[in-house]
Amino acid sequence: MKTILLGFDSFDPNIFEEMASQNELPHLQTFLDAGGYSRLDVCSPPQTEVSWTSIATGADPGGHGIFDFVHRDPETYMPYVSILPMRKNALGEQFIPPYSAKTFFEEAAELGYPATALWWPAMFPARPEIPVMTLPGLGTPDIRGQLGVGVLFSTEVEDKEKTKVVRLERAGKGRFKALLPGPQVQGRDGPVEATLPISIDTLDADAARVTIGNQQLQLRPGEWSEIIELRFKVGMLFTAHAITRVILTQLNGIVRLYTLPLQIHPLHSIWHYSSSGSFAKNLWKDVGPYLTLGWPQDTTGLEEGCINDNQFLDLCYLIFERRKQIFFHLMKDFHEGVLGGIFDCLDRVQHMFFRDKPEVARDWYRHLDQFVGEVQEKTSSWNGKHRFLVLSDHGFRPFVHKVHLNRWLLAHGYLALKDGTASGDLSNVDWNNTKAYAVGLNSIYLNVAGREGQGIVEADSVEDLLTDIKEQLSAWKDAGGNLVVHKVRMKHEIYSGPYIRFGPDLLVGYASGYRASAETGLGKIPEKMLEPNHDHWGADHCMDAEIVPGVIFANRDLRDFGNISFRDIPFLAIGKHLDQSHLKPPSQMNLQGQEKLEEQLKGLGYL
Amino acid sequence: MNNLFTPFHRLEKRPIVVVSGLPRSGTSMMMKMLVEGGLPVLTDEIRRADDDNPNGYFELEVVRKLKEGNFAWLHEANGKVVKVISSLLEHLPQQYPYRIIFMERELKEVLASQKKMLNHRGEVPKVNDMELEQQFRQHLSAIKPWLVRQPNIEVLYVNYNALLSRPESFCERIEEFLVSPLNRQKMLSVPTEKLYRNRVE
Repeated sequence: MKTILLGFDSFDPNIFEEMASQNELPHLQTFLDAGGYSRLDVCSPPQTEVSWTSIATGADPGGHGIFDFVHRDPETYMPYVSILPMRKNALGEQFIPPYSAKTFFEEAAELGYPATALWWPAMFPARPEIPVMTLPGLGTPDIRGQLGVGVLFSTEVEDKEKTKVVRLERAGKGRFKALLPGPQVQGRDGPVEATLPISIDTLDADAARVTIGNQQLQLRPGEWSEIIELRFKVGMLFTAHAITRVILTQLNGIVRLYTLPLQIHPLHSIWHYSSSGSFAKNLWKDVGPYLTLGWPQDTTGLEEGCINDNQFLDLCYLIFERRKQIFFHLMKDFHEGVLGGIFDCLDRVQHMFFRDKPEVARDWYRHLDQFVGEVQEKTSSWNGKHRFLVLSDHGFRPFVHKVHLNRWLLAHGYLALKDGTASGDLSNVDWNNTKAYAVGLNSIYLNVAGREGQGIVEADSVEDLLTDIKEQLSAWKDAGGNLVVHKVRMKHEIYSGPYIRFGPDLLVGYASGYRASAETGLGKIPEKMLEPNHDHWGADHCMDAEIVPGVIFANRDLRDFGNISFRDIPFLAIGKHLDQSHLKPPSQMNLQGQEKLEEQLKGLGYL
Repeated sequence: MNNLFTPFHRLEKRPIVVVSGLPRSGTSMMMKMLVEGGLPVLTDEIRRADDDNPNGYFELEVVRKLKEGNFAWLHEANGKVVKVISSLLEHLPQQYPYRIIFMERELKEVLASQKKMLNHRGEVPKVNDMELEQQFRQHLSAIKPWLVRQPNIEVLYVNYNALLSRPESFCERIEEFLVSPLNRQKMLSVPTEKLYRNRVE
């Protein structure tokens, strides 16, 4: 077994096919020319963490338990991030692995082959008991244990929705000071924030010296610093280590400095960051420092105006280049087994530029094609005795309309608010009169008696209620007469496996251009059902899986496969199915026809 | 290309060579070629050569019982060649590795040949031609994706019509696919125009 797998998050088949027809992606086109390209049927819902987990396990969410970016606690209805679950124990709150289903990496390791998974979503915290080398991807928290936002230092009064803003105080001519907020520690009177002093000394109109703790940097406006290592003193004996990059975005009268979220230091992580622990450390030492946050491409900083388009793209490029270096470093000693890595900058770039600057997104298709060419060159001496797969978790579409699904449920009598409330969140819901509610980006739950904390829907009315909602939602049209929803699916129609009972009761597959609002994701109920999306985040994939298929490229002919789905990836990667439930024998696919064939074959004396 | 992607499970036994396809797609001719090439064959000769297959059928009666779970004969089949029509392939037990030579032929020719064979056997066709063609097409479009997903199976598709016009290149590919030296000269003596009797222009 010798398999190289490149995961290109959000690589869209429509764009690929169009660019390939114009010979713009020559390296990927070699797969196409050899019959080694196909669109990929991705799982529902087509969300990054769900889809990559389904690809790794060959199972749908019923088999691995990740149904949506946001899940809810049925007892309290409280939403939580599905890929960063925690459990309380004697040591306090601990992160626990988001799923335990077997991946093809694990299967390969059990067969005795080295297996390495890089930047794969939902692989934090690492599972040291499994002999797979991992660096985690989406879902890896910052040093506060959260998904992470940066800090903006400014001489001006600024207000940001998510980003923390710290005022820079003047401390002499051309000198400014502030405190960088770090991890929270338990103080005598409750939690307090550890901090590091930060100072900016203007050197000239185009340069400044920035000092953070004991780190000193000389920065020019608009350029990212190297990755810096910070040490926060927390208590008498303990030091918290973190890494980040900083950027001076303005030095002209107004001074602005932005720091990325403080991230886990692989050499000093208090959590199981990687497996094995020395794997991450060796890469840091052998290749160089790398960012560790699950979503290191700072879309929030861009959306909130802390950095501009070019600075965001520069950051993406730095991340991509370092990941490539790590991948190539590991390829040098790769003789057998499976080596897979997810490269997700394209996803972030498309979220921010697909709608308004499509050429920027297309440039990234060219970067990825070039990367494929470099891998092809490095593997050319392997004499073709390897598998090379390139695939994506879903495609991409413009995000034109925000859908406030709870408002729709309210308007159609499935959800009720407490008296005197016109909008709000799930705490404002009158559960005694609510039959269904939405939490997550594609999920509707019924308020089932005995399952939900204040459930009222009895078991014998579940089926009818699901059918009602499905029918009405499927017929929903916007003011222009366009269907808002492409398909609504009941969970038992599309899922199988031990976790199915934890999943949402209905999967809402939005039509192209429509996506659940961020408010819906958190269970909120704004005042409108639909709202035009003017955000920088102008494109997405959380629609219906049929609207956003992925891609697969392989150095083998894929034509005989027919439709290739996420369930086939373990087989394509390691030659083994982890779940065979989808492999229907041909005779079971058309029973009526089978009888007629058998009649004929009996007549011929073959049966 | 196929050989580069040998399934990864470690094969301890030599694969069983299977010649398959729709009835009347050239499976008997391929059996004869492999026999001439030097492969040991599993056949009981119960079904004798006739006008429809002048070189013989090379069949094994017990293969028809695959569906009922009669697999004992497969214990002795490693490294040998056996004929299994395509609709029985899904019943081959998974514990054995197989290399399948799957014969493909113009469907209209297959149906014409089957019709003639039914006549010779005194049977009356129970399904009309159009419907039968549709059912065979559906069967073929289901079997290929299923075969390619079987970790214990490798398939070489051989087009009957192309084989008759370019037998040399196919013999080479078959030898490569089976990873076994074959007597190509003797194999080449089998595919002759004499066997190509049901043509559809």
